[in-house]
Amino acid sequence: MSWESIIPNVLAGDAQPLAATAPAAAMDNEQFAAFYARSARSLWAYLARVSRDPALADDLTQESYVRFLCADHPEDGEVAARRYLFKIATNLLRDHWRRPQPSCIDEVPEEVFAARSSERHSDSAATLSPAMAQMRPRDRQLLWLAYAEGYSHHEIAQITGLGSASIRLLLFRARRKMARLLRNGGEA
Amino acid sequence: MSPFKCAREGELSELLRKGYWPQACPDDLRLHVESCRSCADLVLVTEAFQRSRNQSTALPRLEPAGAIWWRAQLRRRNAAIETMSRPIVGAQIFALIMALVVVGALAVWQAENWSGWLADFSAALHLDALIPSALPESSILWIIVPVIATIALLSGIVVYLASEKQ
Repeated sequence: MSWESIIPNVLAGDAQPLAATAPAAAMDNEQFAAFYARSARSLWAYLARVSRDPALADDLTQESYVRFLCADHPEDGEVAARRYLFKIATNLLRDHWRRPQPSCIDEVPEEVFAARSSERHSDSAATLSPAMAQMRPRDRQLLWLAYAEGYSHHEIAQITGLGSASIRLLLFRARRKMARLLRNGGEA
Repeated sequence: MSPFKCAREGELSELLRKGYWPQACPDDLRLHVESCRSCADLVLVTEAFQRSRNQSTALPRLEPAGAIWWRAQLRRRNAAIETMSRPIVGAQIFALIMALVVVGALAVWQAENWSGWLADFSAALHLDALIPSALPESSILWIIVPVIATIALLSGIVVYLASEKQ
């Protein structure tokens, strides 16, 4: 028995028949290419800044898009699609951090996130990177989503899976700490 | 007013997001930021992150969208095949178990008849005709065992090739 008789065109690599069965595939190749061009750089920046590892950001960016295309996400337009993409990336990052053994992101030793020598940017790095290095990974995530991407507390809660109420408090503390570090040139 | 938020923070955030800060914002807000620590923190942190974002977005060497699209299609196709093959594998296992049960039941039922037949097995095959008369009678095992082993080996290869083709 061949697979062709069970799932028509499944072996042909043709996207169209699958598009009819999976909502995610409602985005065709060209639409995806345009969406990718608009969103990939900001997603990479988020992953690179939060993980502090550009090579990891490369891998997770690709994996995020593959999972995005494979998922049955609701068709609520580009804003929701972007948010969904950041959620996938956040989960991948969390999985990556958890892989060695700790169950909570805050238990991961800071050395894991230590600045990689391969970090390929010159930056406002002079001021932001040392300060980012002093922050906990979760705080880096929250700060980036709020102040670089401009997401609301509600949206950040959707992306990170944290409670909306706790976002405000966590973000307030993280921002105060970050501001202090920036004023001191990254020194605690 | 929330203990974690200045009353003018929303207004200030909006101006920062639109890029109106500091040139295109009211003077009173600028004065407020100088005296409000929370708003000063907001300006400092937002500006640092926006600058960093603008620089970071120029850095990545992105994989072509087509390659990612192709990988996603491949993964979805494999997932679809896996989903379809799961019940088929289940049915194959069930069929194998049923066949073994039937063979076992048959063996138990016909045990008496077969034991006599097995005892005369070598005689029925007239294997002694194949053995040179010079060999002792116990050497028959040296022929039967390799023949059965060869048949088992060939059967294994046939089954492997058949399953590989599927």
